[in-house]
Amino acid sequence: MLRLPSVGRALATAAKSSMARNTVPVRAASNMVEVFVDGKSLEVETGTTVLQACEKAGIQIPRFCYHERLSVAGNCRMCLVEIERVVKPVAACAMPVMKGWNILTNSEKTRKAREGVMEFLLANHPLDCPICDQGGECDLQDQSMQFGSDRSRFTEGKRAVEDKNIGPLIKTIMTRCIQCTRCVRFASEIAGVEDLGTTGRGNNLQIGTYVEKMFMSELSGNVIDICPVGALTSKPYAFTSRPWETRKTESIDVLDAVGSNILVSTRGGEVMRVMPRLNEDINEEWISDKTRFAYDGLKRQRLTQPMVKDDAGQLTPTTWEDALTRVAGALQSVQGNEVAAIAGGMADAETLVSLKDLLNRLDSENLCTEEVFPMSGAGTDLRSNYLLNSRITGVEECDLLLLVGTNPRYEAPLFNARIRKSWLHNELRVAMVGHNVDLSFTYDHLGEETSVLKELANGTHPFCEVLSAAKRPVVVVGSSALQREDGAAILSVVSSIAQNARTSSGVEEGWKVLNVLHRVASQVAALDLGYKAGVDAIRANPPKVLFLLGADAGCITRADLPKDSLIIYQGHHGDVGAPMADIILPGAAYTEKNATYVNTEGRSQHTRLAVSAPGMAREDWKIIRAVSELAGVTLPYDSVEEVRSRLAEVSPNLVRYDDVEEANYFKQANELAQAVNQELIASPLVPPQLSAKDFYMTDSISRASQTMAKCVKAVTEGSAAVDEPSVC
Amino acid sequence: MFLAAAFRSAVSQTARQVRSLHQSAARAGAGGVFVHRDTPDNNADTPFEFTEENLKRIDAIISNYPIGYKQAATLPVLDVAQRQHGWLPVAAMNKVAEVLEIAPMRVYEVATFYTMFLRQPVGKYFIQICTTTPCMLCNSDSILEAIKTKLGIKVGETTPDKMFTLLEVECLGACVNAPMVQINDDYYEDLTPKDMDEIIDELKAGRVPLAGPRNGRFSCEPAGGLTSLTEPPTGPGFGVRADL
Amino acid sequence: MAGYLHVIRRALGQLGGHGGVKGLLVQFLRAADVKTGALIGVDKYGNKYFEDSKNYFFGRHRWVIYTTEMNGTNTMWNVDASMVPAEWHRWLHCMTDHPPTTHPPEPKKFLAQVHQFNVSGTSQQYVPFPTTSKKIHEWVPPKAQ
Repeated sequence: MLRLPSVGRALATAAKSSMARNTVPVRAASNMVEVFVDGKSLEVETGTTVLQACEKAGIQIPRFCYHERLSVAGNCRMCLVEIERVVKPVAACAMPVMKGWNILTNSEKTRKAREGVMEFLLANHPLDCPICDQGGECDLQDQSMQFGSDRSRFTEGKRAVEDKNIGPLIKTIMTRCIQCTRCVRFASEIAGVEDLGTTGRGNNLQIGTYVEKMFMSELSGNVIDICPVGALTSKPYAFTSRPWETRKTESIDVLDAVGSNILVSTRGGEVMRVMPRLNEDINEEWISDKTRFAYDGLKRQRLTQPMVKDDAGQLTPTTWEDALTRVAGALQSVQGNEVAAIAGGMADAETLVSLKDLLNRLDSENLCTEEVFPMSGAGTDLRSNYLLNSRITGVEECDLLLLVGTNPRYEAPLFNARIRKSWLHNELRVAMVGHNVDLSFTYDHLGEETSVLKELANGTHPFCEVLSAAKRPVVVVGSSALQREDGAAILSVVSSIAQNARTSSGVEEGWKVLNVLHRVASQVAALDLGYKAGVDAIRANPPKVLFLLGADAGCITRADLPKDSLIIYQGHHGDVGAPMADIILPGAAYTEKNATYVNTEGRSQHTRLAVSAPGMAREDWKIIRAVSELAGVTLPYDSVEEVRSRLAEVSPNLVRYDDVEEANYFKQANELAQAVNQELIASPLVPPQLSAKDFYMTDSISRASQTMAKCVKAVTEGSAAVDEPSVC
Repeated sequence: MFLAAAFRSAVSQTARQVRSLHQSAARAGAGGVFVHRDTPDNNADTPFEFTEENLKRIDAIISNYPIGYKQAATLPVLDVAQRQHGWLPVAAMNKVAEVLEIAPMRVYEVATFYTMFLRQPVGKYFIQICTTTPCMLCNSDSILEAIKTKLGIKVGETTPDKMFTLLEVECLGACVNAPMVQINDDYYEDLTPKDMDEIIDELKAGRVPLAGPRNGRFSCEPAGGLTSLTEPPTGPGFGVRADL
Repeated sequence: MAGYLHVIRRALGQLGGHGGVKGLLVQFLRAADVKTGALIGVDKYGNKYFEDSKNYFFGRHRWVIYTTEMNGTNTMWNVDASMVPAEWHRWLHCMTDHPPTTHPPEPKKFLAQVHQFNVSGTSQQYVPFPTTSKKIHEWVPPKAQ
């Protein structure tokens, strides 16, 4: 009995310790610490910065130099906040939280610190907001209104900095610079071009390239967005509009196969500029320069009215009635496979399906895409054969990436930015079979001969050890490598490499290894809808009536067709296809229609109408619908919703927007691929876009763009060649 | 007419006297502006190669740092380049970047930050005169005047024979021996205008005068003799209780 | 009775003042109005200016009968208010009570010496045009060989 109390105490301790065992490890495992933001309790992970903790609590701390996707610099000091019982204010962006801290985001001291920092920043900042292009979307403007003082005590002369010429895309007004170094960090971390830096010191510190040099990156335009002030602005957009005047339309880019999400700013029926839109799965918050700056191509070389060739062979404007009657007459006069269609790189899914329905009703199966893809073996029957199966984000999870015959830096700049991100932060190892190009990161170059692929497939290449040791391998083959004569053999050998890597890695079932990186926006949708890839069939069996749907790659010419054949071109630019046509039907470009596109991952997205099509041009599927009615084979849809339900009938994934339909049957595809001719041609794997000058002009829109032409000139002749007298 | 001319000369005189608050020594001196401008003797195509001996030095410097951290050697390697060439043309910076396998911009950043890296040509003897407060109080202005009259150049200029460059700098850390100048790597201290004349004459004659104080001091001991610690040191047991 | 007499006198005065039934009809069709009054003057083009402040209220008491031929143009049925020269315009619009016949105006160099017809509605009319550049530059097909 005497011992009872002690037993009770022992029991109590045991109970407490068991309780502690239950709670403490949970705490430790989740790595959470408790902090307070303005007295409100909050659980955050250790290592979280003060700024992130406040963000989590829903309070935004003003900042200039801090950017989520860049390293922390901590040099603008705008994010100073007071911590209770800490003597000095701390820079929230760089300071990790400690247990029990009470962050005071709106205390007297915090407000005074912000006001002081703002006064210093404004001391050397020119008061040229009325003529500054950043006006209205300027962080400095906004934050000085919110946190700054209403007067300055600065009476000395302001500092002035010389403007730099860093190319035809970015305008610099360096006096406005507040030295946040976001652009420097973007260039060296995301773009991988270490051209920008800070020179000098103290009051004379300036951002620049030191030597006269163009900021040569395919992602250079993004520094315009991340610049918190008007120091870096867009040259083509300079002095054209104000952000509050424009209407913003959320849309999709179609100039490459990545399908970057964009925001189209329009004013008065004119596209003023293109900006990126956040999509973590595709482009994060960056877009490539072609996406951003090729918009002036939408205003030049446009097809604005229907045209027909007169007796002299001259294309002359006509009415829709005349043009459509002629097309319908031509379609009725031939039968079956005498009519064929070629879809170009920017055709949308709605148009593709209506064109296919139209030709099928005329008993023709001759529907091709311009882009070649091997049709033997499993060909395009298995979706896994032609998709970027591991998705763009998959690159961040893999540990070994093998690129075959591609130059992602210029074929898909955002995909390359993802690879670079993974290479930088996740120690991703990259290897390349193909031309030795500058990818902005280092990689193992295994050679550019096709024999290397054979060796990799049968395990005799020294790199196979690395490949088999990889835990999560990814193989990406460029679409250009598959367009050679031995494309089928290359796909077959690459699929073997992928299959071997999958087996040796022992990765889980859902992990995809084989990937195809496309270059044009329409290809995946066209293949999903059952188009044949490549124009070989048409060349072998020349049709009497050929329908070109924005086919501007020049894969077929007049010389390939019989003399009396009729060519109909439907598209938005007078580029390669239009001059050889007999009848031209003006269509809409991607900013002028609600249309579905599927990116290289198989992700279906849709553009939205930002401006109406110019002149008499109309939405493409409507033109085909009108033709079908006149030709006596009326297509059963009258609205875009009905076309989309037809799309869903053919391939349901096309209308599941922002969703990726997974593909499978890799093994079966590989087995089928073994049946094809395995002979590889000895010629090296060289992708068509090798250097920056090949990047800017690849399609009808960017070929019509003057900005892109200037870029090419600047790249080849130096930025001084396109230097324009500065207005301001 | 006359008034305007007088006014103009007065303004320019005043302007010469007043040193802009925003003009740092680095900007005013041999560094110049913080952007590069191609000149015949300073452009990316001017040949610059490290000597065999310096390459060995660079290897030794780089080996001080862990593998993969060659960038850490930027400062010493730039110094090697400057010592070899006398100053740092852009070609030398490019070469340093090549040797260290980093982007040229990263080298430019370092070279423009430090005022001791000279990005514009200097004479054989680079005279830096300190005019910060302690030296100024010890009449460094007279030394500056002596150099100016002797060489016939102003601050920031080089003599036509490319022998001397004069630069006014902030404190060089020899306040005890004020006034002082630094010529290349040597400090000449406790100067009088006469000393300065002699030093320049010696240099012109091709001899390097002995560095250090010129007033008979050995180093930085008190000029008027010791004021403390004048007695011989006491022996052990000083101040200790006798019974211990 | 006297009132009726006055009306009849005026009706007869209209017939006489316009030169009979035909003249009255022409006047009615040209000016859509028939009025008689004192002829104050005739300008250099032949427009006639009348005044009758006794029978008409202020604002309708002065009027013009346009000439039928002016500067070589037949203005019988095609009249325009701009045909009134500047010196008569003042009087006609009651800016002054002094007609130019009694008070000749000072010559002004900015006044048109010879009347120019209003070109509105003709092919010579001014059409405003945009000075901004075209928003869309259309494709011009190449010339056929």
